[in-house]
Amino acid sequence: MTVQGIVLLVLFVAVLAAFGVIVRMLIRSLRLGRPEDRFDRWGSRIWSVIVFVAAQARVLAQWAGLGHFIIFWGFIFITLGTFEHILSMIVPGFGWERLFGTAVAGAISWLQDVLGLLVLGAIVVSLFRRFVLKPLRLRIDDPKAKQEAVLILGLIFVLIVLMFGVKGTAIITGEVDARTAPVSAVAARILAGVGDPHLLGSVLAWIHHLIIFFFLIYIPFSKHIHILGAIPNIFFRNLGPMGTLSRMDFEDETAEKFGASDMRDFTWKQLLDLYACTECGRCQAACPAFLTDKPLSPFRLIHMMRGHFVADRKKLLADAAAVATPIVPASVSEEEIWACTTCGACMQECPPFIEHVNKIVDLRRYLVMTQSRFPSEMQPVFRNMEINYNPWSMGYSTRADWAEGLDVPLASEKKEFDVLYWVGCAGSFDARGQGVARAMVALLKRAGVDFAILGVEEMCCGETARRMGNEYLAQTLIEANIEVLKKYRFNRILTTCPHGLNTFRVEYPRFGYETPAVHHSEFLLELVRGGRLKPAGGSVSGRAAYHDSCYLGRYNGIIAQPRELIAAAGAGEPVEFGRHGRHSFCCGAGGGRMWMEETIGTRINEARVDEALGLGVGTIFTACPFCMTMFEDGLKAKGREEQVTVKDIAEML
Amino acid sequence: MKVVVLLKRVPDTEAKILINQEGSGIREDGIKFIINPYDEYAIEEGLRLREKLGGDTKVTVACMGPAEATEAIRTALAMGADDAVHISDPGLAGAGPFTAAAVLAKAIGGEGFDIIFCGKQAIDDDQAQVQCILAEMLDIPQVNAASSFEIAGDGASAAVGRRIEGGEEKWETSLPALISCDKGLNEPRYASLPGIMKAKKKEIRTKTLADLGFSEVPNKGRSRIVKWLPLPKSGECRMVEAGETADAVRELVRLLREEAKVI
Amino acid sequence: MTGDILVVTEIRNGQLKKAAVELVEGARTIAAGTGGAIDALLIGKGAQGEGAKLARHGLRRIAVVDDELTTNYSSEGYAKVVADLVAEGQYGHVLICATAMGRDLAARAVAKADGVMFSDCIELRYEDGACVAKRPVYAGKLYIEIVPSGDRPVFITVRPNNIPPAAETGDSAEIAARPSGLDRSMIRAMVKEIAALAGGRPDVTEADVIVSGGRAMKDAANFKLLEELADLLGGAVGASRAAVDAGFAPQPLQVGQTGKVVNPKLYIAAGISGAIQHLAGMRTSKVIVAINKDPNAPIFEKAHYGIVGDLFEIVPILTEEIKKIM
Repeated sequence: MTVQGIVLLVLFVAVLAAFGVIVRMLIRSLRLGRPEDRFDRWGSRIWSVIVFVAAQARVLAQWAGLGHFIIFWGFIFITLGTFEHILSMIVPGFGWERLFGTAVAGAISWLQDVLGLLVLGAIVVSLFRRFVLKPLRLRIDDPKAKQEAVLILGLIFVLIVLMFGVKGTAIITGEVDARTAPVSAVAARILAGVGDPHLLGSVLAWIHHLIIFFFLIYIPFSKHIHILGAIPNIFFRNLGPMGTLSRMDFEDETAEKFGASDMRDFTWKQLLDLYACTECGRCQAACPAFLTDKPLSPFRLIHMMRGHFVADRKKLLADAAAVATPIVPASVSEEEIWACTTCGACMQECPPFIEHVNKIVDLRRYLVMTQSRFPSEMQPVFRNMEINYNPWSMGYSTRADWAEGLDVPLASEKKEFDVLYWVGCAGSFDARGQGVARAMVALLKRAGVDFAILGVEEMCCGETARRMGNEYLAQTLIEANIEVLKKYRFNRILTTCPHGLNTFRVEYPRFGYETPAVHHSEFLLELVRGGRLKPAGGSVSGRAAYHDSCYLGRYNGIIAQPRELIAAAGAGEPVEFGRHGRHSFCCGAGGGRMWMEETIGTRINEARVDEALGLGVGTIFTACPFCMTMFEDGLKAKGREEQVTVKDIAEML
Repeated sequence: MKVVVLLKRVPDTEAKILINQEGSGIREDGIKFIINPYDEYAIEEGLRLREKLGGDTKVTVACMGPAEATEAIRTALAMGADDAVHISDPGLAGAGPFTAAAVLAKAIGGEGFDIIFCGKQAIDDDQAQVQCILAEMLDIPQVNAASSFEIAGDGASAAVGRRIEGGEEKWETSLPALISCDKGLNEPRYASLPGIMKAKKKEIRTKTLADLGFSEVPNKGRSRIVKWLPLPKSGECRMVEAGETADAVRELVRLLREEAKVI
Repeated sequence: MTGDILVVTEIRNGQLKKAAVELVEGARTIAAGTGGAIDALLIGKGAQGEGAKLARHGLRRIAVVDDELTTNYSSEGYAKVVADLVAEGQYGHVLICATAMGRDLAARAVAKADGVMFSDCIELRYEDGACVAKRPVYAGKLYIEIVPSGDRPVFITVRPNNIPPAAETGDSAEIAARPSGLDRSMIRAMVKEIAALAGGRPDVTEADVIVSGGRAMKDAANFKLLEELADLLGGAVGASRAAVDAGFAPQPLQVGQTGKVVNPKLYIAAGISGAIQHLAGMRTSKVIVAINKDPNAPIFEKAHYGIVGDLFEIVPILTEEIKKIM
C-alpha cells in the first residue's frame, strides 16, 4: 500500500464513520416522534420498493421524470465504479478486471461512459428547465432551496466530467482500452500533453473522491437527504386507503394537548416524510389552493417543516426534557393550515409518497381542540353539529321532512332490509340536495330495491368535523351513529355523497363498524347492468362532461362507474376535463372549506368552472353534493348558469 | 372580584316546538336543550373580565333549573367558568319571574358577588324580567341588553353601551350591578377539549329550596297561562298574484299590514 | 287595586312616541271591562310640552314628570316614579310600550311595585273579570294567552304596531306637572349620552326590517332601490353572498351562514334564490317576503309571502304603495 492509499483509506473510513454517526442521529431524530405501526405486509412493502424505487413508477408518471430516472440509475451505477476506484487506490490491483475478467470490466467501463454522458445530458436539460422554462412546480420563495438544487446538479456534473478525465488519463497511460470507453477517449485526446498523465489522473481522482466524501457529509444536511429518506419512506408508505386519518384516544381525562403543535407530536413516519422530500414541487403544481394564490403550498409546507425539524432536533436530541418549538406560527401559518381542501392531489403526485394531508389535519386538531383557534365561520358549524347533528342549524327533527309524501320506508319500521340509504346532511336539508335524494328514492323504488332511511335518527356522518380537526366532535357523532346503525339489520349502506362513502368505507371500520358502503354511482350501475333499472334516458341536451370528485375518484378509485352510467343513460361518453380521474381538480369544498369564506386569491370553484366552460359542454355531471353546489355557485358567479346545467348522475336515469 | 353569571337551560328553538296533547305546554320529546344563547354572551363577558382583572377573580355560574341542567352548566364550566351553584327543586317547575328572582337573590346574595352578568332574555319565555326583579331584590342597579362593556380602572363603576331604536345609549353604572347581555357584546368562545375535560371536575353546588331557607315556593302563582296557541299555518308560501303587477304588489302591502302586521 | 289603568308613555328626543296612542287603545279595552279610568304618565326631557298630544283621547289625568333627575333615562329613577304613582293611584293595570326603554322600565317598576308583568304582548282583551294578554313565546314559534292571579298591579308591555291607534274622542284630560320625587342617591346607573347611528340605518343584526338583495340586482347602484325601501320602513339593507362577491354590496351587509345571522320581523328578499347558506342566516325572520323571477326558487318554500316577477318592476311599486299608507 502506498502513502496515498493509506491517506485515502483513513479519509474514507473517517467519512464512512461520520456518515454512520449522521445516519444514527437521523434515526434517533425519528424516534422523537410517536409510534406508528408500519411494519405489516412486508411483501407489499418490498413490492412497493421494486415498483416505485427501481422502476421509478411515480417519477415516470410525468415525462420529465425520465431525467430523474437517468440520473438515478446512472449515478448508482457510476458510484459503484467510484467505490471500486477508491478501493483500487487503496489496494493496488483491485478492480473489476481482477474480479470479473477483462470482458466484463470492459462492459462495465463502456456502460459507465454511456450512462455518464446520459447523466450529463439530463443535468443540462434539468438546469434548462429550472432556469429557463421555470415550471410552476418549482416556484418557492426560499433562495436556499434553489442554491441547493444548483449545487447538487453542478457537483454531479463536475463529478462525471472528472470521471471522464480520470478514465481519459487511464487511456493515455494504457490502463484502460479506449474502445471500452468511447467518451473517455475524447477526454483522453483533450488531456493528451497536459503534463504527466499519471499525476493528472491522481489529481483528478483525488478531487473526485474528495467531492464524493463531501457529498456524503453534505447530503443529510440539505434537501438531498431525500436520497436517504425516500426509499424507506416508500417502504413504509401508507398501504391502506388514501382517505384515512389517525384515530385519537380521548380516554385520558388529564390530557392537556390534542393534535400536533410541535415535531414531537408527529409519528416517526410523519417525520420520515420530511426526510423524503426532494422538493420536486409536483404536489404544488397539483394543489388547488396554490393554483388559486392561497398561501398554502404542500411543497412549501414540507420544506418549512423540514427546516423546522432540523433546527429543533439538535435541542431535542440533546435534552429529552427540552421544550420543542411550536410549528405554528414559526414555520407554518394558520392561513396555510386552513386553506387545505384535503383533496389529496399532493399525495397522488408525490413520488416518495409523502403524506401531506395527515400533517395538516394534525395541526388543525391542535388548533381546534386544544386552543379553540379556528376561522370564526366554523364555530356555528361545530355548534350546529353538536346540537342539531348537521352543519346548518336546521332542527334535527326536521331531517326527514324532504321525504314527506313520498312514502319512504323508515328503518325504525322495517327493522330488516337490504340497503340502508344514507341521505346525508345535504340530501336532507339543502334544497338542491333534496332534489337528488328524491330522484334517488324514485330510482330505488323503480328498481324494486328493499331499502330504508334512518330519517330523524340519522346524524351527520362526522366527516367534515374530522377534516376540520374537531376529532372529539367527530367521534361523538360517529359513535352515536354506530349505536343507531347497530339497531337494524341490512347488508349495505348506500350514499350519494363521496365524503360519506369515504367515511363509512374507510373510517367507520376503525371504530368497529364494518358494514360495507357503496356509492350511488356503483350501486346504480349494478342495477342497470343487472337489468333491474332501465334508464329513462334522453334528458341531456348537447355534450356533457363528468367531474371526478376527489373523495370518489382519487380517494376511492371509483372512476369508471359514473362514466359507464352516463353512457348507459344515453348521454354518450362524457367529455373529459384536462385534469380528470385520479388527477382531477378539486371543486374547493372539502376539508371544511364549504363553510368558510374564501377571501384570498381566486376562487377554486371558479377555476374549475373556467376549465369546464373551456370544454364547451351544456351539462356537467357530478356525483357529490359539495361539487354540485360549488359548480352551480361558480356558474352563477360567472353568469353562465343559463348555458350550463349541473346534474347529479342520479338525476339522469 | 366575584363575578356571577346567570344561566338558563332552554329548548333549542331550531327544533320544532309543538304544543302537547293536553294543551298545557310544549312537547319535550324530540327537543334538544341548550344554554340560552344570550347567556353565552354573559359567560364570555365574565370570562373576559376575569382575564382582564386576573388575581383571584372568580366566575361562578348560577342556574335555576331541573336536574338535566347540569349539562348546560358543565358547558359553561368547559368554557372556563370556575364553579357553579345549581338550584334545583321539583317545586320550582314552571316558576314565574318573581319566584326565580327571589330564589336567585337568596343563592347569589348568600354567596356574595361584585358583578352579575346574564342574558337579556331567555328564548323560551322571552320575558326579560328576571334580571330586573333580581336587581331590585339585591338592591343593585341594572343595565339591560349591553352591547359594550368596559369596567373602570378602579373597579367601582363601568361604562355600558346598549342599542335602542335608531341609536346607542351610553350608560354609566356604579358597581356592584347587574348587566344583561345582548348579541354583539362579544364572540363566545368555543370550549376547548382540555376545558371540557377539566369541567368534569369543577364544583357544582346543588341547592334545594330548603337549602336556601325557603319553606315554600316564594312568590308563587302570580299568573296563569290559559291557552297555548300555534302560529297560524305558515307551511305554504302565500303567492300573491294578480293580472297586473301593480295590483299584486298592492295586495301584498295590504296583507303585510293587515294580516302579518309588520308594516 | 282599582280598575284604573295607567299608561306610561315614552318621550324620545323630546317627543312623545307615536305608539303611545296604541297603548291608549289597549287601555280602553281593559277599561271597558273594569269600568275604570285611564290616566297617563309622561316622564323625560320635553314631557312638559307633549302632554297635550294625548289630551283629546278620553283620558282622565295626564301626569307630566320633567325635572333635572329625569332628563336622562335611568332605570331606577323612572321605575321609582312609576312605582310611586302606581302605589298612590292603586292602578290595577299599567301599560308600557315594549321598546328598549319600555322593557327595561317596566321590569324594574314591576319589581318595585311587587306586581306581575306580561312582556311584549300583541293583543289584549278583558274576559271573565281579568285581562287576557296574548304574547309570543319560544322566539315567536308559539303564542300563549296569560291572565294575572291575585290582586297585584299588572304591568303589560305592548309591542308597537299590533294594537291599532286610539281615535280621538274629543274629551280633554287634566294635565298636571308632577315632581319626580327622586334624589341623586337613588340613581346608580344612568344614560350619559345617546349616539345616533352612523349613517342612520340600523345594523343588519338588530334591524326589525331588512330589505335584502341578491345577484339579480345586477349592479351596486341598483341597491339604491332597496335602500329607499329600507329607509321608508326604518330598516336595514342586507345582501346575499353572491351579491357581496360580485361587489354589489359591502361585506358587513352579508346575510347567511358565513355572514350575519339575522332575526327581523320582516325580511324582504329581492332576487335571492334562497340556497341553504343564505337561509341559515335569515330563516327565523318573522315574516319573509320573496320577490323572484323564478317560481321554482327555493326561497319560496321558506317565505310567507311571495311574488313572482321582476324585482326592478316590483320593488319601486312596493315602495310607492307603502309610502301611501304610512
